[in-house]
Amino acid sequence: MKFKFTLFCVGLLMACFIQQAAAQTLQVSGTVKSKSTAEPLAGATVSVVGTAKATQTDAKGNFTIGITKGGTLSISYTGFKSYKYVVNQAGTIQVSLEDLNTLMNEVVVVGYGTQKITKISGAISTVKGADIERLKPVRAEDALQGRASGVTVVSTGSPGAKPTVLIRGIPSYTGTDPVVVVDGSIQSLDDLNSINAADIESVNVLKDAATTAIYGVKGGNGVIVVTTKSGKKNQKTEVNYSSNFGNQQVLNTIGVLNATEYAAMLNEGSVASGGAILFPNLSTLGVGTNWQDQIFKNAGLASHSLTARGGSDNMAYFVSGAYTGQGGIVGGADKSYFNRYNATANLNVDLSKRLKATVNTSFVNIRSASVPENAINSVISNALNFDPTVPVYNNVAGTYGKYSVSNTILSEIFNPLTQLDDSHNQYNTNKSYGKLELQYQLLKNLKVSSRYGYTNTDVTGKAFTPLSFYGTGHINSTLNADGTTKVGAHNNVYEVKTSYYNYTLENFANYNFNINTDHHFETVLGMAMAKVTGNSVSGSRQDVPFNSWDFADISSATGTAPNSGLDVGSYQYERRNLSYFTRIDYDYKDKYLASFSARRDGSFAFGANNKFGNFFAGSLGWVVSDEEFFKVNFIDYLKLRGSFGITGNENVNPQFQRISTLTYAYNLGQNAGYTFGNDPTSIGATIASFKNEDLGWEKQQQLNAGFDLNFANSKFSLTADYFEKQISGLLFTPSLSLYLGTAAAPTANIGTTKTSGFDLNLGYNNAVGKNWKVSSNLTFTTAKNEVTETNNGLITGGNYGIPNQSVTRFEKGQSPGYFYGFKTVGIFQNTAEIAAAPTQANAVPGDIRFADINGDGLISDLDRTKIGDPFPTFTMGWSLNLTYKAFDFNTFIYASVGNDIYRAYERNLAMTNKYRGVLARWTGEGSTNDPRNPRYSFTDANQNTRVSDRYVEDGSFLKIKDVQLGYTLPTTTLKRLGVSKVRLYAQVKNAFVFTKYSGFDPEISGGIFDTGIDRGAYPQARTWSFGLDVKF
Amino acid sequence: MHMKKYTYIIGLFLVSTFGSCTKFVDFNPQENYEITADNYFKTAEDYQKMTIGVYSPMQWLWAVPVIGEIASDNSVSGGENATDNIPLQQIDDYQIVANNGQLTEIWKACYEGINRANYLEENKAKLEFTGKTALYGEVYFLRAYYYFELVKMFGGVPLFTTKRLSVGDSKKFQRANKADVYTQIENDLIAAIAALPLTNSQQGRATKYAAQALLGKVYLYQDKFTEAAAMLENVVTGPFSLVTNYGNIFLQAGENGSESVFEVQYSNASPFYDWSNPGRGQGNLAVQICGIRNLTGTSPYASGWSTNLPTANLAAAFAAGDTRKAVTVLDIEAYKTANAGMNITYMVAPYKNTGLYNQKYLPRVGQTSGQVELNYLNNYRAIRYADVLLMAAEANNRMATPNDVKALQYLNRVRDRAFGDILHRSTATGTALKTAIWDERRLELGMEGQRFFDLVRTGQAASKITGWVANKNEVFPIPQAEVDISGLTQNPGYN
Repeated sequence: MKFKFTLFCVGLLMACFIQQAAAQTLQVSGTVKSKSTAEPLAGATVSVVGTAKATQTDAKGNFTIGITKGGTLSISYTGFKSYKYVVNQAGTIQVSLEDLNTLMNEVVVVGYGTQKITKISGAISTVKGADIERLKPVRAEDALQGRASGVTVVSTGSPGAKPTVLIRGIPSYTGTDPVVVVDGSIQSLDDLNSINAADIESVNVLKDAATTAIYGVKGGNGVIVVTTKSGKKNQKTEVNYSSNFGNQQVLNTIGVLNATEYAAMLNEGSVASGGAILFPNLSTLGVGTNWQDQIFKNAGLASHSLTARGGSDNMAYFVSGAYTGQGGIVGGADKSYFNRYNATANLNVDLSKRLKATVNTSFVNIRSASVPENAINSVISNALNFDPTVPVYNNVAGTYGKYSVSNTILSEIFNPLTQLDDSHNQYNTNKSYGKLELQYQLLKNLKVSSRYGYTNTDVTGKAFTPLSFYGTGHINSTLNADGTTKVGAHNNVYEVKTSYYNYTLENFANYNFNINTDHHFETVLGMAMAKVTGNSVSGSRQDVPFNSWDFADISSATGTAPNSGLDVGSYQYERRNLSYFTRIDYDYKDKYLASFSARRDGSFAFGANNKFGNFFAGSLGWVVSDEEFFKVNFIDYLKLRGSFGITGNENVNPQFQRISTLTYAYNLGQNAGYTFGNDPTSIGATIASFKNEDLGWEKQQQLNAGFDLNFANSKFSLTADYFEKQISGLLFTPSLSLYLGTAAAPTANIGTTKTSGFDLNLGYNNAVGKNWKVSSNLTFTTAKNEVTETNNGLITGGNYGIPNQSVTRFEKGQSPGYFYGFKTVGIFQNTAEIAAAPTQANAVPGDIRFADINGDGLISDLDRTKIGDPFPTFTMGWSLNLTYKAFDFNTFIYASVGNDIYRAYERNLAMTNKYRGVLARWTGEGSTNDPRNPRYSFTDANQNTRVSDRYVEDGSFLKIKDVQLGYTLPTTTLKRLGVSKVRLYAQVKNAFVFTKYSGFDPEISGGIFDTGIDRGAYPQARTWSFGLDVKF
Repeated sequence: MHMKKYTYIIGLFLVSTFGSCTKFVDFNPQENYEITADNYFKTAEDYQKMTIGVYSPMQWLWAVPVIGEIASDNSVSGGENATDNIPLQQIDDYQIVANNGQLTEIWKACYEGINRANYLEENKAKLEFTGKTALYGEVYFLRAYYYFELVKMFGGVPLFTTKRLSVGDSKKFQRANKADVYTQIENDLIAAIAALPLTNSQQGRATKYAAQALLGKVYLYQDKFTEAAAMLENVVTGPFSLVTNYGNIFLQAGENGSESVFEVQYSNASPFYDWSNPGRGQGNLAVQICGIRNLTGTSPYASGWSTNLPTANLAAAFAAGDTRKAVTVLDIEAYKTANAGMNITYMVAPYKNTGLYNQKYLPRVGQTSGQVELNYLNNYRAIRYADVLLMAAEANNRMATPNDVKALQYLNRVRDRAFGDILHRSTATGTALKTAIWDERRLELGMEGQRFFDLVRTGQAASKITGWVANKNEVFPIPQAEVDISGLTQNPGYN
């Protein structure tokens, strides 16, 4: 929860005209303005208290009214704090009304309604639209990082890619994405790639059960509530234009061997394994080529946004159009990019006095392309491992190709520039989303609403794999050295069309009433039907004419090869939910707060015996500072809060007994066909999957306790929460008896996990003197996760390398996704040490000595243990906004502490380039005992490259994520041009990173099993940009 | 006021809100065009398709004959180095641990086959149709085949026959007695013999003879020699004949030939490319692994992974003039010298090289497709007529009232073919004849996956296999995962 409690002041200036006065009517005229914007307020109500006399301000905010001397004038306007004034003199007054949004009376959007922030007893984090707009993120989640306490965001550098977002830890492995609610319509985290940052009014993160239980089975991972901007009635049209141009570059490169060092190391490795000297003459090699310098390019980042909002008597509107374009720094903007066009119209119309309609419509077009990333065959991985002794460009006469090839690396790894040249893909997404909502004011306090929210997405994609030459002996070459096609080799093109359509239909009634004036009730009751559908058709062909992307299309490719996987395929799915929900909020004099919510959810994914589930939550709050006995001058406001409740998670597909008639089922690894003699394959059939009629949801119990505190004249605000989550019925693929056969095991409700932690938010807001304004915000997020039951099962993941090794596990007694491998305890210096140590097969002096964890005197797989945890112990965000006269300075710093990284980009093959650490290798007894630096040899009988803490590094970091310096032009000169505000600024994103991690970027996103594993992850770029914000 | 109107609106609201049909969240897999069990067992074709599915897991058992050789004195694991195919290396070195991937795969494949067979048993009563009896004969034959593979490899195993196990049956079964498993195998084969036709128009389908031969073998493995002799006699007098040219048996043209009693059919007609489950398709992976590394030239052979290499000991066991030697072991260097015109080059097997290769199953040019390593078409000759003759010979020699005349006759039919003359006939009787038959099995069936099981069955393992330990290595360890999950008792010596 984040709010500012600004100094309580209403500016009132009155020109005094002393008049004779006695029971006469005084004429008062004046202008009503908004205090925050200084804009005149049209349609404000000016009334004489106790009489029927009232008027409204005109378009310029002016009014005139007659009032008896000594009477009280009341000036009110929706969304503003009303102002009362006793009139003793006639004359002209200037009234600046305080915007309620900046006050404690701020309203927060919660499930199926809004609530005054003072009345909330649950746990909510809020990020304001202004903060998001200032950051100008490509994706809205980036603005949550470090700004919303309780939310952990691990960003990625890949243009437009989805970051890892965890709300209050990792309850489950099946999917940790919080649900995203945009203007009441349920969407997914993936959809946040489509929202223009300038359209966002606010983002609220619902964290505890009291706030999420009304989303029932979807609320388990927390809820991100995005509210987009809308107009205000009787508001003069306000136009905003903002523009930003930037240049992105990589922050640093990884130390690998130069050509001479590489050749020397290969000589050593070859000799150590009984081979010959490979590079007899080192003196001619020089430093060679650092391929990282070749693949990283400067790439542009640009955004333009034009918005307009306003309103008349019975309607309000917000319209916007925006463009965001981000190029990728790996290979440049030609090869990876994310370009987005947005158009949005949000309309609120009073169809009649009682009936209101809201129509929000957004259209988004996204064009994107990508290069292979964060995998064994990624461009970055190739750049780090490719031969440094060859030049960039091909200088061998008569051979094919623009870039050079290696004569020593003959499989899997190739020139990253050739790979970039050969990466051809393009995806086009057309998406429209929005809602249609009708509100009918049935009674004074009873409002019924019907809302239809939808998202329609069409994605068209194409990828082309050309024939290529990576070297004469290279097994991946599909061309010969002279450019002719190898026998049996083909290029291929893949096309896919996927459509998604989701809708949510919700009908609900809000009824607010008071009992005995001091007992306030706000209630909601309703139902929702939701459907998520998707379907896709894809196909591949080979033999694209001219081996060219220009001709890459199924219609032009001539060859079919279904047995090589170039086939046609399709899928479709549908998910449906039916839900009933209610919430009752109660307060007594705004001092004692209580809330209760319930949801009954049915999910099509669950078994017949478990279709519906009930979710309840309740919360209590106490505004201690409103008590008579509370007399602490230093503290202005103190609220204690507590909540408990149940939410769920339905990240599972229906489990049924499927029959497969495929000759080979790739996802299952089983066939059902058989070929009798030379007869064509006989089609067989078999059961491919088990069913589980008892399948239900993951049930989360969450306890939350916290307080909100404002102190030192409300210059400081502190919100703190402690939470505990117990998750049971974790959706888990059980370890079934092997004698059940090979049909796919169904998901069952097996595991339990426990998560606890603190979220803190400390705000500071002050004006120092006349010219200085300071606001600062500090967030602190921590979550401790533990898997408490898995029924002896465990899930492994985080695979890398060839042969494939697995690093991460989800296992009882450990934190989810922890690194699992061998612990190292040094290096064997001599044979005597090896003889004295626990038996370690094939070890020779110079090899890594592994720890005998189970003490059985033998180093075996049983000695593997926890060697790291990719998720941070805590994260912190600190923002500072300084304003001095027309200048403003903003900075944002984000820190993540305790997250480990597993370095998995090294291929460890004989001829591949190596991480510089190898220079400190063991070279003889006593040379080093650092287990990260064993002897170097081509053969590795000791398996020094096995999964061990040798590759685990501390990934803790502190990033200066954003630095901005802005200047706002003097308004006086602009007014004449019809411009009300112009701000120019310069911005640096990811300015500096302080970390011990040796790689590009310690932020490595992924799922639970892949976060923190650096297979050559796409690093975030440093972005220099200039921007302009104009308001008309 | 407008109270009536309000009541009406509220009523409508409530109806639309809470009267919604809960069917909205029901799921029918057909929505996603998925076929489920509910759609099946409605026509004879459904039963036939399901039965074909029972055959498939036999193809996944490619490693059983490989282990049957590597675990014996016939071959070594080979491979690229000590860490290449560790499961096979462990078996070769008799450093076998329960967590052995190949053994686990065999266990899973057999039980997949058994569950597929049981699924037909479960749905047997749903439909009557022409040919049902014979079809179920195949099902029972296959179930017996899978249980026999299990009992040979692991001893007593969990035994169930009535239905396909579901999730609720996990961890419910313990190991049955070895004798009970054998009884079930016998019962299935007796039922199969009663139901199966003598021949089947589709090659590779189980026949009455295949069931009789397998039952004879099952009897032999239990030392029930009288029953074995009687049962095998049915096959001996059947329509089979020994192929004159021994080498032709193992060519593509020799598949399902006159000597074939039962063959596991492999095919390159539906190639697959799933490297995460390389043995689960329709190709025979045992062929790829035994190939010569980096082989070039114009020989009929294709290259492979130098695994399952015959030992010099096996090569030396053949007498001069035995045509089976060149068919069983290929001395690559001698072959290269003898066929200089083929311009052969190859890589010497980098680990445990013997210079010899498993000629019967060597990969051959043009016999695979798609992902070439995974799709070799070579059938596994599971039961050959020669095997039946030798089994019958052994049974006649070892039964309570031996018939050595018959035993000798059957043995010599095999030897006559091997040498192409009648000059190499055995004249032994009694124990000497028994030994002669055992030795003949090694020569006749070399590299065909019989050796290890024969040595164990006949009590010769301790004297013939280096590293073999009595009261332990008669069987392989129960897969560790199954011990962990299902709480099965581990075989002695493997804990």
